Amino acid sequence: MTPMILAGTRKGLFLLRGDADRRSWTVDEPTLEGWEIYHAMQDPRDGSLYAAGNNFVYGATVHRSTDNGKTWTRSEGLGLPEEGELKLEKTWHVEPGRDSESGRLWLGAAPGVLFRTDDCGESWDVVEGVLNHPTREQWNPGAGGMCTHSIQLDPADDDRMYIGISAAGVFRSEDGGETWAPANKGTSADFMPDDPYPEVGQCVHKVLLHPGKDGRLWQQNHCGVYRSDDRGDSWERLEDNGLPSSFGFPIALDYSRPDVALVVPEDTVRHPEVGGGNRVTTGGRLGVYRTEDGGQSWDLVVNGLPEQAWVEVLREGMASDREDPAGIYFGTKSGSVFVSPNTGDEWIEVARHLPAILSVEVGEWQ
Amino acid sequence: MAVRVLLPGLLATQAGGKDSFDVDAATIGEALRALPIADLIFDEGGELRGLVNVYVDRSDMRIRDGLETALDGQEEIQIVAAIAGG
Repeated sequence: MTPMILAGTRKGLFLLRGDADRRSWTVDEPTLEGWEIYHAMQDPRDGSLYAAGNNFVYGATVHRSTDNGKTWTRSEGLGLPEEGELKLEKTWHVEPGRDSESGRLWLGAAPGVLFRTDDCGESWDVVEGVLNHPTREQWNPGAGGMCTHSIQLDPADDDRMYIGISAAGVFRSEDGGETWAPANKGTSADFMPDDPYPEVGQCVHKVLLHPGKDGRLWQQNHCGVYRSDDRGDSWERLEDNGLPSSFGFPIALDYSRPDVALVVPEDTVRHPEVGGGNRVTTGGRLGVYRTEDGGQSWDLVVNGLPEQAWVEVLREGMASDREDPAGIYFGTKSGSVFVSPNTGDEWIEVARHLPAILSVEVGEWQ
Repeated sequence: MAVRVLLPGLLATQAGGKDSFDVDAATIGEALRALPIADLIFDEGGELRGLVNVYVDRSDMRIRDGLETALDGQEEIQIVAAIAGG
C-alpha cells in the first residue's frame, strides 16, 4: 500500500506519495490548476478522486478522476433550482455514500445546501429538506460563507446521517436525508449573548462521527470543543481541562479508539468570550492537543512541530487514516504538510512552500 | 457561417485542451451557450457570470447589445476573465 495525501490548495490540488511507514513523502506536480480546492478526497469504494473546486470567475463545481489525478471530468451544470432566489456560491465537501450505494455521493456547498448524486457526480440533485429547511431564516454565514462542510453517515443505521453548516449548526436526518432536525442542544452561540443556546445558529466548524462507538460525535465549534454520546441529542463542552482555547477549526479522530481526538486551538479564548479575533495558533506556536479520555483532559503533542509559529489550519485541513497506530495529517495556510505516523507522538514536516492549504485527506495510490 | 470563439486557458483546459470553437450562432449569447463550457460562464439562472467579459472583434459586447448582439458570421468572439482577485 502506497499512501496518498490529497492537499487541496488555493492553487490547485497537490498529491503526495508516501512510503509504507508514512514518514517519507514526495510531492507530485499540481493538478486542477486554476481551481481553489476546498476539499478533495478518495472514494474508498473504487479509488476515484473527487475535488470540490471553486474559481472566482467561473464558479463552483466538482471534479472527478479515475486515474490518480492525471485526467479529470467536471460535474457540469451544478447549481440550485432556477426558480429559487439562492445561487450556488462554493462547493465545500464531498462525502462518499455507503458501500451498498454504488455511485452515490453527497456534496456540501454554500449557501448552506446539500446535493446528492447517484451517478458519481455526472448529475447532482439538491436536497430539498436542507434547501427549504424551516429554520433557514435563522441561519447566518460565517467568514467563509454559509458552508455545509461536514457530512457524516452513521454506520449503525443506513438512514441516519449528520451535516454541519456554519453558522446554522448540526442537523440529523433519520430518513436518508429527506428531513433534518437540529441537533445543537448544549452547544453555545456565545456570539449571540441574547440567546446563547438557540435551537439553530451555532457556528459549528467541523463535525466527525466515530464509527466504533454508536452515537458518538465530536465537534470543534467556534465556541468550544464538544462530544456527544447520544447521536447529537446533547453535547458536552470539553474545556478548562488542558485546552488553551475554545476556538479552532479542525478536529481529527483515531478510528481505532473512540476516546481519542486531536484539535489545533487558535487564539486564547475562554467561555463565554467569543473567539476568532486573530485566528492563529495559540501561544505563538504550532500546537496540537490530544485527548485520550473522551475530552476529559487534553495534552499538547508537539514533538517535531515548530516552537515558534503563527499559522492557521482550516476546517478541512486535518485528517486521519484508518491504520493502527493512526496516522494524523494536517496542512497549514502557510503551505506546510505535517504527518504523524503515531497519533501525534511525533510529527514530520513532509512538504513546505505549497500554496495555502485548504484541505487535507488521505488515501491510497491505485 | 460560423463565428470563432476564443477561450482563455482555464476554459480551454476544461474544454479538453481546445482554445477556439467555430459555432453557428445568430447572437453572442447563442454562440456562448453553444460552447461545451457554457456552464462555467453562465450561472444556473442563465446569467453571464459577473467576472466574465466578452469582446467581439476586440470591442466590449456591452457597448453593443450585450448577449443580444447580432452576428453576421464573420466575427471573432473573445472571452476574457476580468482582472480581479490575487
